[in-house]
Amino acid sequence: MGNSPLAGSQTSTPSKIDPNQIPRPMPGSSIIIFETRQGNQANIPPPSSSDFIVKDTGNCSPRLMRCTLNQVPCTGDLLETSCMPLALMVQPLSLPHPSEEPIHVVDLGESGPLRCSRCKGYINPFMRFVDQGRRFICNLCGYTDETPRDYFCNLGPDGRRRDADERPELCRGTVEFVATKEYMVRDPMPAAFFFLVDVSMNSIQTGATAAACSAIGQAIADLPEGPRTMVGIATFDSAIHFYNLKRALQQPMMLIVPDIQDVYTPLHTDIIVPVAECRQHLEQLLESIPTMFEENKVADSAFGAAIKAAFLALKPTGGKLLVFQSVLPSAGLGSLSLREAEGRTNISAGEKEAHKLLQPADNTLKTMAIEFAEYQVCVDVFITTQTFIDLSSISVVPRTTGGQVYYYYPFSALSDTAKLYNDLRWNISRPQGFEAVMRVRCSQGIQVQEYSGNFCKRIPTDIDLPGIDCDKTIMVTFKHDDKFQEGLECAFQCALLYTTVYGQRRIRVSNLSLPCTSVLSNLFRSADLDTQFACFLKQAASGIPTRSLSQVREQIMNLCISILHCYRKFCATVSSAGQLILPEALKLLPLYTLALTKGIGLRNDGRLDDRAYWVSHAGALSVPLAVPMVYPRMIPIHDLNLKEEDGSVLLSTLPLSSEHLNDEGIYLLENGEDCLIYVGNMVNPDVLQQIFGYTSVNGVSTQFVLEQFNNDLSKKLNNVINEIRRQRSSYLRMRLCRKGDPSGMLFLSNMVEDKNPGGLSYVEFLVHVHRQIQAKMA
Amino acid sequence: MMEVETSAPPRRAVPMAYGGGYVGSCNGLYPAPPSLVPGGGVAGGFYSGLERAIFWKSSHFHQQKIRGGGRWEYTFIAVDIHYLCDGTLLLPSSPAIAAATVSGMDFAELEAVEGLRWPWNAWTPSRSEAATLVVPLSVICTPLMPLADLPVLPYEPLSCSRCAAVLNPYARVDYRSALWICAFCHSKNSFPRSYAGIADHNLPAELFPTHSTVEYLLPNKNPNRNSFPSTSSFASLSFYTSSSSLSVPPAAAVSVAGPAFVFVVDVCSAEEELRALKNEILHVVAQLPENALVGLVSFGSMVWVHDLGYAQCSRVVLFRGDGELSSAKIQELLGVSHSQTPKLASSQAIQKQGYLLPVSDCEFSFSTAIEELNRFSDALPGHRASRATGAAVSTSVALLESYSPNSGGRVMVFTSGLATTGPGMVAEIELSRPIRTNREIVSDSASFHEKARNFYQKIAQRLLNRSFVLDLFACSLDQVGAAEMRFPIEASGGLLILTDSFESDQFKKCLRHIFKREGTDHLDMISDARIELVTTNEVKICGALGPCASLRTKNNSVSEKEIGHGGTSSWKTCTLTTKTSIAFIFEVGNYQPNTYPGPVFFIQFKTRYLHGDGSNRLRVTTAARRWATGSRSSSEITTGFDQEAAATIMARLAVNRIENYHPREVISWLDKMLIRFTAKFGDYVPEDPSTFRLPSGFSLFPQFMYYLRRSQFIDIFSYSPDEVAFFTWTLNKENVNGSLIMIQPTLFQYSFDGPPVPVLLDIGSVSPDVILLFDSFFHVVIHYGSKIAQWRKLGYHQDPSHENLMKLIEAPEIDAGGLIVGRIPVPKLIRCDQHGSQARFLLARLNPSATQKFHAGDPSRVIFTDDVSLQDFLEHLQALAVQG
Repeated sequence: MGNSPLAGSQTSTPSKIDPNQIPRPMPGSSIIIFETRQGNQANIPPPSSSDFIVKDTGNCSPRLMRCTLNQVPCTGDLLETSCMPLALMVQPLSLPHPSEEPIHVVDLGESGPLRCSRCKGYINPFMRFVDQGRRFICNLCGYTDETPRDYFCNLGPDGRRRDADERPELCRGTVEFVATKEYMVRDPMPAAFFFLVDVSMNSIQTGATAAACSAIGQAIADLPEGPRTMVGIATFDSAIHFYNLKRALQQPMMLIVPDIQDVYTPLHTDIIVPVAECRQHLEQLLESIPTMFEENKVADSAFGAAIKAAFLALKPTGGKLLVFQSVLPSAGLGSLSLREAEGRTNISAGEKEAHKLLQPADNTLKTMAIEFAEYQVCVDVFITTQTFIDLSSISVVPRTTGGQVYYYYPFSALSDTAKLYNDLRWNISRPQGFEAVMRVRCSQGIQVQEYSGNFCKRIPTDIDLPGIDCDKTIMVTFKHDDKFQEGLECAFQCALLYTTVYGQRRIRVSNLSLPCTSVLSNLFRSADLDTQFACFLKQAASGIPTRSLSQVREQIMNLCISILHCYRKFCATVSSAGQLILPEALKLLPLYTLALTKGIGLRNDGRLDDRAYWVSHAGALSVPLAVPMVYPRMIPIHDLNLKEEDGSVLLSTLPLSSEHLNDEGIYLLENGEDCLIYVGNMVNPDVLQQIFGYTSVNGVSTQFVLEQFNNDLSKKLNNVINEIRRQRSSYLRMRLCRKGDPSGMLFLSNMVEDKNPGGLSYVEFLVHVHRQIQAKMA
Repeated sequence: MMEVETSAPPRRAVPMAYGGGYVGSCNGLYPAPPSLVPGGGVAGGFYSGLERAIFWKSSHFHQQKIRGGGRWEYTFIAVDIHYLCDGTLLLPSSPAIAAATVSGMDFAELEAVEGLRWPWNAWTPSRSEAATLVVPLSVICTPLMPLADLPVLPYEPLSCSRCAAVLNPYARVDYRSALWICAFCHSKNSFPRSYAGIADHNLPAELFPTHSTVEYLLPNKNPNRNSFPSTSSFASLSFYTSSSSLSVPPAAAVSVAGPAFVFVVDVCSAEEELRALKNEILHVVAQLPENALVGLVSFGSMVWVHDLGYAQCSRVVLFRGDGELSSAKIQELLGVSHSQTPKLASSQAIQKQGYLLPVSDCEFSFSTAIEELNRFSDALPGHRASRATGAAVSTSVALLESYSPNSGGRVMVFTSGLATTGPGMVAEIELSRPIRTNREIVSDSASFHEKARNFYQKIAQRLLNRSFVLDLFACSLDQVGAAEMRFPIEASGGLLILTDSFESDQFKKCLRHIFKREGTDHLDMISDARIELVTTNEVKICGALGPCASLRTKNNSVSEKEIGHGGTSSWKTCTLTTKTSIAFIFEVGNYQPNTYPGPVFFIQFKTRYLHGDGSNRLRVTTAARRWATGSRSSSEITTGFDQEAAATIMARLAVNRIENYHPREVISWLDKMLIRFTAKFGDYVPEDPSTFRLPSGFSLFPQFMYYLRRSQFIDIFSYSPDEVAFFTWTLNKENVNGSLIMIQPTLFQYSFDGPPVPVLLDIGSVSPDVILLFDSFFHVVIHYGSKIAQWRKLGYHQDPSHENLMKLIEAPEIDAGGLIVGRIPVPKLIRCDQHGSQARFLLARLNPSATQKFHAGDPSRVIFTDDVSLQDFLEHLQALAVQG
């Protein structure tokens, strides 16, 4: 029974809601073994935040692909009535659990993977072999094909091919095919990494250049070994400085491209060289760059020109371009202006246009980015700044090229250097692929409506991903163009053609086959909260640059109310009108919706760049990270010592309400990006001493480095943080928040269940939702 | 001032003081063809009279020096003054005029005094008559010719207020009222106070009759430089007698920036070539004075400007090779522009430029940068290397412009291949697309030629605006695009050197020549020169042919007719050597019989330049020649004919025409001119060729024209456009002596029979038992007769018993060495055996008196050609001349 009457029957009087009874996320404690299919039926995946081990028994792992609904509505009307989205969250290279079976690599020789001759769908466990195995029927388009002679196999008595269990492509939801020549327009590209470092005056003086150089210097040790790994480096201020890393030279030679309007690259060789040949040069150079530019008085930074020039260097091969930018790009091609200030003066004139500041300033960078994508150059931008940098314009480049933005604001050379290094290291060492093309196919009856995420789209059906890595998620929405028959299954197939860092061309095919239903309550029962919320988050993010914030908030809230109203109206009719009834699967939807409207992206105050970063971050965010982004985890850490260890390092979380904050306590709050540590004003100095090495927090800077001291508490805290880092694949920016300080206010702004100027408290919000539903019912 | 007993100067003209056996033998170098010299045979066995003339002259001048105070000094000498009948002109007995009036003079000797060669030493005042002379009225001027006893005057010259002519010995001086009357425009000028002591026994050096040429040391405008007190009067200072003894107070050597050199290096050269070039550049830079500035630009498909002031690592600024950037843009990109806005200027000031630095500051970084130059060529198979020569030149000029050195700047391009990209490209990158040929250029179908020339015209203007020099050292077996680059090189006075390899001696010598300095702490490099002409009213300037550019300063002495760089009375050239010769072409104004122009006319050459030691100088040469008027006019004209100078002028006119006309038309023009010329000056019975005789002073002229027709200057289809550019450039700057060797090479024969003798430039002179030494200016060929070659092969010359052979083989070697010394561009020395392939250098220039069609005797002594022989040519000429 999915119905969960909320707080008994007396919800008609809101004041009587017991705040402790309202739905809150409950982390699962034990590891779940999840079989994707059982008895020829798809299983509903566990929550994305839980700890689970997947057994691929026909459907792909939910880490790779998750649908908002685990049963597909037979008609478009049904879907419309439910108000819920039908979308897939595809994370094609996502990290598996260490205990999971690795994905099988299938090499079918010169003929390559078997495909449907009509829809070009790849062979998968749901293709039905008939006629003694001589023919097969495509599960996507229904077309019947001849089985090629060398793929022929007799059928067993159960109607399955006798070799079905031996062939991974016939029994696994996900396989990786070795691509044949047919899938290559050229030899697979080498893994080329090009580092581009801002050395303008500000960047030097804030230590950003030194931090970047040190991060690169350490991170190159983790580059994939082998002759196919290439590196190059350039620095820039109002000119672009390339470095000739050829081994024959005694020292690196600086090659300056002064023209930042009509840029070019100095050489086509020697700028990007195999890492094995230049490691020494590169290390030496990275050490000397901060001193070389120590006296630099050039304040201008030609970001656009620099990435263009670096792109030209990378153009023959393609590759990853990692840019370290510290100030507003003020010169040369694609230079930007201080729009924030303009925005501030305009805002009084009319708030209507404020969202335009979240659109790129002009088309220059977008046009460039499309060209980059065409030549398989993926751009990641590391923003280490203390000022406005017009992230909404800059972020277009990574978004279009399959890259991402890292944002360190306000940059602190002291505390951010470690994160910068770890982010960079993860960036270049995580599982990833290059020059990728992705397409999602689905059964006849629905069709792909839209892809969203970080990619470039040149033709309607495919998306180009110059770079794709384990953290990137692409959302695919669907719409009905026909009906499904009850009892049949609807299949989704995602094919990603990419080149590995070792230069192999692969096709990763993930399949998900879900039952179709015409029963509305089935939809609600099989709804996937995390996926749906991720979908809302992305929709909100894409709405921010085009609509005013209040409109976006309203839309999100209305969506939540409409879903709940639908459920109330069609699935819970028996309940009394005074009750707020929430579907079990979506019971946290109001909380997350509230949290979303109070988040950085949608709240009214907040810096333009922060919002732009939020938007760009949400765009490619994976499902497991979507919820923490708006509803972070809060863990009390002052009493870590008192808790018994029960195997898992992580401990129970607290609701995000200031009621749960204690003046004697220390609390850790993390959202996958930032880690705030809140210190009450009456904390035991001993505890402070153990954690921070000081008896008073006044001695600790806001941006601090957490050290491990020789005591249990400190060790446990470090273990906890390391576990979070592992879970999130993120190093976390540490910030100390003191009660009664601006930093304390920052922490409290994360207490989304509280009533604050930005919105209602959780209880109030539930009342508001309830009233709205009641109004609709009447 | 030391008072010295005055004595009358020698009344006789200087050159006349020595008659000697060589008078009249100025053609010793050129054995007259048998048909034109009665009695036939080879006339005279002398070397050029020039060397000897210099010797004689200096010994003569010693007599004029009066020893006083332990040093040579000029002092005041009373001067005889002739008042002419009309009383308008004061005429001292100048050596020039005296010489011009004497028949049988040696023009080369006069040249040694004046630095001038006049095809006609007496001019007719009638325009119509002048036209019949065929060879135009002209002067070949070597503006900075080293002159013995050249007075260097440490004060500013006095100039005529009307025509700006500088006070000279021909001016009439009225001592009592302290006035002088300009010899050119007859206007009165008063002497300034500093000339207060002037009297007929106390003359300033510029009025001294033997000093038709003086040099002024001008006060420097730059207060940092050493300068002479401007108030100094001519009398208050001892006169310096020659430039060599002039001791300029040493400038604060390093604090004053010296000349700037930008080395532009092509990195597409082959490995060994580049290494040789690098060594050579390092060698010359090591020899530079400490205050000289150096810069390094290298190029391939891109242009690399090397930063020499950056200590942390090698730093290079790159420009794309395929685009044309303005100078201002280049400077802005280099961060060296002189911005007007103070805000920008201050930020520029912080950023110290390091692209052009004094040698003393950047010796190490310069040599590191040079050593780090690696061969870099991205040429694909079947393609030429991508060379952005034009962009490199433009960038280098911009670099000099930004720095604005005031002691001259040179852009020295070292390349070993074709410009294939960007502005100034001359060929496409695909090897399958051929390089333009002379035929294509002539027929206007060379696709990149015109565009490249236009680009380099703009470069030339930029160079001239700032007095920078462009040099090209093309060391390649193939062409590099020198034909297109010639214009800025020639206009700026730079060097154009074509050789095969950077390893060659020729290249090394030419390069080192620029950086030559003789025991001084400055280079022997002259920069920022400007030549101005002042003429007598009736003489009009048509133009100049040579390495200079018109400044378009038109006044009433400028003719409407333009020849070469015309429409002006002043020219600019960014550098001059002591040998650079420029031909000035004149015409006479409309002659009205009732206005008698006077017996003489004057031309003053004013050459202002920046000396290598940093001083500004002005050399003034005032020359006078007679008007040939009256009954004796035609004989005066005839005796004043200098056929060598005339041949040189004709050669320059012909190469000038080649630029615009088809070579065939130029040849027929030359023929027409020659026929008219011989018809006018020949002595003959009409319609009877056998009676034809030319006066002795004219006898060699047809022969010169014959060899000119066959030379590389006119017969351009046998040569590449680059070679033609190189030949033309050389001819255009060379003096009469050098030009003649180019037109008609010299040939000496070494045999056991006696001392070396000049022999006819004829296939008949080739013989198995002699060694020939051939000098065509560009090539010096030692040609071993087949017998001698065989002996040498057998090693007889190493045998002590055949000492004679050893000496015979050594002699031309030594003499060839003598020919090569000091000649720029350094000729290529070729040793070859008779019938060897290299013998073509000799055979191509010999008179084909024996061809496959007509020969007598030894079939090996035959030239396979369809060209007409000298004898046939002269016969035809005589036949045409007598037709009238």
